[in-house]
Amino acid sequence: MSRFKRLISNYIFLRVLRAILTIFIVATLTFFIVRLMPGNPIEIYIGQLMSQYGMSFQDAKNQAAALFSIDLNAPLSKQYIIYMRNLLRGDFGVSFLSQGTPVALMISAYLPWTVFSVGISILISFTLGITLGMLSAYKRGSIFDHIMSTIAAILSAIPNYLIGILLLIIIGVQLGLIPVSAMRGTVSPGIKPGFTWIFIKDVFSHALLPIMTYVVSTVGGWMLSMKSSTLNTLGEDYVTVAKARGLPESRITFAYVGRNALLPLFTSLTMQMGFLMGGSALIESIFVYKGIGWALGASIAQRDYPVMQAVFLIITIAVIVANFIADLLYSKLDPRIKIGGE
Amino acid sequence: MAKEILNIENLFVEYSNIRGKVKAVRGVNLKLYKGENLALIGESGSGKTTLGTAIIRLLPSSGYIKDGKIVYKGNGNEYDISKFNEKDLRQFRWKEIAMVFQSALNSFNPVLKIWDQIYDTAKAHGINNRSFVRDRAVSLLRYVQLDPERVINSYPHELSGGMRQRVLIAMSLLLEPKILILDEPTTALDILTQRNIIELLRMIKADMGLSMIFISHDLSLAAELADRVAVMYAGAIVELGSVEDIFYRPRHPYTLGLIKAVPTVTAGFRELYSIPGSPPDLINLSPGCKFAPRCEYKKPGCEKEEPMLVEVGPEHLVACFRHKEIGNGR
Amino acid sequence: MGVKNILKKILIEPLVIISRDKAGLVGFIVLLFILLLSFIGPYFVKLDTEVKLDKIYQFPSREHILGTDNQGRDIFSQIVNGGKDVIIVAFLAGLISTLIAVSLGSLSAYAGGLTDTVIMFITEIILTIPQFPLLAVLAAFVRLTNPTMLAFIIGFLGWPALARAIRSQVLSIKERDYIEAARVLDLGRIHIIFSEILPNMLSYIVISLIMAMTGAVYSQVGLIILGLVPFYGHNWGLMIQLAWTRGAIFYKGSIFYILSPIIAIALFQWSAVTFTRSLEGIFNPRLRAGE
Repeated sequence: MSRFKRLISNYIFLRVLRAILTIFIVATLTFFIVRLMPGNPIEIYIGQLMSQYGMSFQDAKNQAAALFSIDLNAPLSKQYIIYMRNLLRGDFGVSFLSQGTPVALMISAYLPWTVFSVGISILISFTLGITLGMLSAYKRGSIFDHIMSTIAAILSAIPNYLIGILLLIIIGVQLGLIPVSAMRGTVSPGIKPGFTWIFIKDVFSHALLPIMTYVVSTVGGWMLSMKSSTLNTLGEDYVTVAKARGLPESRITFAYVGRNALLPLFTSLTMQMGFLMGGSALIESIFVYKGIGWALGASIAQRDYPVMQAVFLIITIAVIVANFIADLLYSKLDPRIKIGGE
Repeated sequence: MAKEILNIENLFVEYSNIRGKVKAVRGVNLKLYKGENLALIGESGSGKTTLGTAIIRLLPSSGYIKDGKIVYKGNGNEYDISKFNEKDLRQFRWKEIAMVFQSALNSFNPVLKIWDQIYDTAKAHGINNRSFVRDRAVSLLRYVQLDPERVINSYPHELSGGMRQRVLIAMSLLLEPKILILDEPTTALDILTQRNIIELLRMIKADMGLSMIFISHDLSLAAELADRVAVMYAGAIVELGSVEDIFYRPRHPYTLGLIKAVPTVTAGFRELYSIPGSPPDLINLSPGCKFAPRCEYKKPGCEKEEPMLVEVGPEHLVACFRHKEIGNGR
Repeated sequence: MGVKNILKKILIEPLVIISRDKAGLVGFIVLLFILLLSFIGPYFVKLDTEVKLDKIYQFPSREHILGTDNQGRDIFSQIVNGGKDVIIVAFLAGLISTLIAVSLGSLSAYAGGLTDTVIMFITEIILTIPQFPLLAVLAAFVRLTNPTMLAFIIGFLGWPALARAIRSQVLSIKERDYIEAARVLDLGRIHIIFSEILPNMLSYIVISLIMAMTGAVYSQVGLIILGLVPFYGHNWGLMIQLAWTRGAIFYKGSIFYILSPIIAIALFQWSAVTFTRSLEGIFNPRLRAGE
């Protein structure tokens, strides 16, 4: 097979290509939405400057141009090229409201917290979910199964941000277990970052409610998916043959049933990550957990357009990268996926 | 007098179903002798597969042994398999009796290499020595005419259907079982591969002297490989005898029907024969002979009482009230 | 396919399947109850707008079944009157999503080739973009002024997920014999799609519609809580938003005020999903209890 053909049939290569293309398209879309939508922020900003500060149109326009890092006088196509070039250099413009703070700086401060909380949540939720799911499948029809499945169904139906509010009310307000106002933010003020126990404990106590929210709202879904997948796998011939070969129950459960039942769940993993990143906008706002989701919520509320634009792009990129990692993981686990062309 | 290796005594197997109890195996008595090939022939629902899986107690969760014994005579002792607990079963399976299921297409774990699955099997029976297992695996794979190095490192999906069937057969011989049960070993394979598998099974019989039970709906398979044939219908054996008895001196209308139904390439054009009617409902069984509704030799008495197996020749048994007429008619 | 047959497929068949599944039956009844409460209830229970400062945050009593809010208004009347707007917009958005998804999904599956690749490519791109942030950003830009706009935006972003599922359904039906027969009889592509393929997918389309609705409820209430839907008079989502922005959440006595709309929304979502899941029993019999 020619080198070229082998390259384009390569699973990883195709995925990378698609990821880059999607990011490119989203960046372009973001640019055009900002510039072209009726009542676009630039016009509004110029209008504001003129009415609030009595600036002339030209002055207002120049200030807007500086803030958005664009040349309003240049033709649209040139503006686009400059925009893209800036993006590639990591220049996302400057925030409206935070006195000219570069947006890129803000993002680097907020993003890690979201990746941290969402990442841990997915790990916990997935592991817990698939364990409970397999148990339910093996104990099909038992009381355990009925109770677990019902709870899972109920939890999955409630919107995740409402679960956040519920947790906040129940644990924070009604039971008073967590000092809610003190838990705003991602770390308590004054604590030095580092690998100290104090810092780690502080970080986790702040992230506790958001993580709980993510976990509680997604574990049910994992449980039900794994239960269904396990039930399907248990009916497969090779499981019966494995028993006929006299293999011990533990080996069959993990290597024959478990591993195969897990595979279909990976497609949901990618959707799940996108959904959680999206939901972080609300969930972080509810707990005032200063991650990228909170930044999106805050920038929308304050109509801080450069931040809004950049954060949206970053959230999308984060989702694409996460999906890509999940895809890679899946290709490692399922030998039927051809990595290189054959 | 050939040595008995397996004795199925008055076995009843049922399945629980929403509609009622499915009586899949009804009072089967069958002996298997050392070194012989026995074919269990019947259509779907005859109980042949249930009987086969019951021997190693691999019935699905809705199935259970209602009554009877499955006596295995090996290692100088007699064991009743129907009384084994889980631990005994695990040690017993594959080591004494191995079962190769219909079409090995999905008999292997898709995410493990063939080597891992072979080693799994050995390890499960206490054989941990990797190089020993590897040597044995290599020689067995070579015996079934596969390239050992290539197969051992492959994943199941990388092998063709015929190859997988051979690997499964090789794996079944791994622990040197005394009995090999094969459920529809050639169904779902193309004609050429079928021939290869049949030759392979002949070779195994000649070289290893194990006893084999073939379960099939295909009478021609029995003609190729079997020493004795048991014809099953509606959960019971209706005729049992040597392969010559069955083919040259059949005494049960169902057996006759099966033989007539096999199309021949050499005979001239004639209409294809198939036994009219369909198999009975195993939940609500009618009294009397279960084949009667479809039988062209049916007499009024046939639907009142169920015929028992009677001897009509040396080691030739038939369950039919009209076996004398059928015997003379041919 | 006569009208009688279609009615039978939409109404009778699903009801038979559901009644066998206990959870599905409960879900159906709860859903019906909520719908009746939200659409017929308001004629009987008028929204209490009277401010009674001496009756703030009262406990549930015979007079006020769910208690009162921070201005002494009856919570129960707020709940009864709070579902209609949300459900209507959700239904509209779901309808739009489903229509687009069914059209594009079946076209993609049936036409195959380049059409399929292009449509699926676009679908993948839109699917990758996190839906809620996109909605929030759009809502911030566009300044929604009426429910139809809201429904349209949500509907237009919700179709990709459904389209993929519809496409695989159509693909599996496409291979069946009676389609082959219709093709041989040269009955024309559009005719085949509408007369042969889609009627057999009716239950599936109903399921998709309901799932789209639950997604639309999620998006809608989320947008309301973020304050991006300024035109609404009163609904469950607004109750939650008011409670949050006014800090009522942190006050212990407000629990009935904030819990009521949350439970109402949760019940609606749960009953819709459960009802749908039992409908799915048509397509995956192995999941049915006991088998």
